[in-house]
Amino acid sequence: MQNPYIPMPVEVIKIITEVDTKDIKTFRLAFLNKEDEERFKYTPGQFAELSIYGKGESPIGIASSPTQPGYIEFTVQKAGVVTSALHAMEEGAKMGVRGPLGNSWPIEYLEGKNIVIVGGGFAFTTLRSLLNYMIYEENRKRFGKITVVYGARSPGLLIYKDELEAWGKRDDVNLHVTVDKGDETWKGKEGFVPAVCEEVAPSSENAVTVICGPPVMIRFTLPVFFNLGFSKENIITSLEMRMKCGIGKCGRCNVGNKYVCKDGPVFSLAELDQLTKEY
Amino acid sequence: MEKRSIKKETLTGIIKKIAGEMRVFAPVKEEDGVFFRVLGEGVEPQINYANTKNAPKNIFFPRTEKMMKYTRTDKGMEFVENGEEAKDAVLFGARPCDARSFVLLDRLFDQEKYKDPYYVDKREKTVILTIACVHPPYSTCFCTSVGGSPTSEEGSDVMLTDVGDSYLVEFLTPKGEKLLKYFGDTQADADAEAKKKEIAEKAASEIASHVPAKEIKTFLDENFEHPFWDTIHQKCLACGTCTFLCPTCHCFDISDEVKGPDGVRIRNWDSCMFPMFTMETSGHNPRPSQKERWRQRTMHKFKYYVDMFNAISCVGCGRCVMYCPVNIDIRKIVTDISKL
Repeated sequence: MQNPYIPMPVEVIKIITEVDTKDIKTFRLAFLNKEDEERFKYTPGQFAELSIYGKGESPIGIASSPTQPGYIEFTVQKAGVVTSALHAMEEGAKMGVRGPLGNSWPIEYLEGKNIVIVGGGFAFTTLRSLLNYMIYEENRKRFGKITVVYGARSPGLLIYKDELEAWGKRDDVNLHVTVDKGDETWKGKEGFVPAVCEEVAPSSENAVTVICGPPVMIRFTLPVFFNLGFSKENIITSLEMRMKCGIGKCGRCNVGNKYVCKDGPVFSLAELDQLTKEY
Repeated sequence: MEKRSIKKETLTGIIKKIAGEMRVFAPVKEEDGVFFRVLGEGVEPQINYANTKNAPKNIFFPRTEKMMKYTRTDKGMEFVENGEEAKDAVLFGARPCDARSFVLLDRLFDQEKYKDPYYVDKREKTVILTIACVHPPYSTCFCTSVGGSPTSEEGSDVMLTDVGDSYLVEFLTPKGEKLLKYFGDTQADADAEAKKKEIAEKAASEIASHVPAKEIKTFLDENFEHPFWDTIHQKCLACGTCTFLCPTCHCFDISDEVKGPDGVRIRNWDSCMFPMFTMETSGHNPRPSQKERWRQRTMHKFKYYVDMFNAISCVGCGRCVMYCPVNIDIRKIVTDISKL
């Protein structure tokens, strides 16, 4: 019997400090056993339990794309016991990973459609996974136009800066990066994500929007997409809840009769309407 | 199905004999109650007890359980090996409600995609010998309202029924038949079976509490928001007794413990009644007050579990009713809901 609670050993092979407050880092992990790497078949939007022996586990969305073999990445904010221990780690450290867990962004449903990615703050991680997956050479033709609106409070809090630059140079990605308030070096857009979405006004025709960010951003962004004519089936987001087991047993992450860990974390707005508002 | 008849006075001897050969969990007297314990030498298993204070779920789903071990090396903490494998065992003296709880827990822990190896391993290796309730022991019993009965066979491998001067012993599963050799050669006669039928009807009719547990599902489907939810939680102390004593509550926490160079990852029972249960690192709590927690408990048992597994997650044992320090009564909650 496969034990779903046992983590697979990994090595931290690279740590990137993403923001100038230094409390958001990306950890690149490589599997120590080849068979684990082969077993860890994931789809953008899934998450995994990062396991630090002696501290515990933390459920974190997978930030890398399955098109990037050899490693997996997680972008983590330092917040609690486990994430603080993770932030104290150095390259070469060993830890565990349990997963992949949960459903994923509905890749098959997204195929052939125009995709609007909307992200706020550091909740851009699984969106980055999706974007890198879609723009991967062999995959790109499976998707229509790609529009990205990504915002952070300040320029220093934008994550994946190198990639933002690279995506901006592509003519097959319509990228809009914004900050709530710029500084003297900032030459880009200023303004909140919902306002930028309104300005960019992506067409709802044959389009799906995938939104991830702080609750307040989501609250003000949804009406914008309703006004643009997006149906609730075509507005997709990802939920977060406190989790332990990650496989629908420990009983704490349910929203109504769905476990966010197992039946989610990805839900369309139409699906969320069927659930209780307890998240 | 194999059926035997044994003289009543021989039962404890048989159980002790089995206990000499493998691990037997049996109800034993301890302080002010009866508890399931590993039957040691010279200890009398209880037979004519009402029900145990704790549900026997502890045997397959211990209150504290080691999930894995790890040790510190010069490269940091490394995972070493998993915990122990379960051994063949017998659970003697479960009541039909408690035996039935395992069938309900199986639906969660023994799913196709994710099996809980700790639970499944112990469950598969344990034979369950149930003693039918000839007379329902408590006025708080309500098993017949939630799909069970005082003589329900669900979850049992062997069923013992007191038919007067003897026990009718029914071997319900191949697992149960492994114990056949301990119960002699006296075949049960038609008379004993007829008596059992009589007892089953009588015992069910003696159940005093009736609650419309199935009937409230339609209300729960529609009324997540309802003023009723403001009326049950005020006196709740959030002590968690109801969930710890409940045979079907299965929520757990996972935590790490380190001592010197060695560590363990353990799981402990947790409770939806506790404020910290759903508290997130950010401070956000989707169930911020006891009101939401009581709604969760009620919904989980009488709606969510039904949606997920097509069964009410309650066996009607009445422990939560008996031991709640402030007399919150799930029977009353269900009955009140049915009147809305």
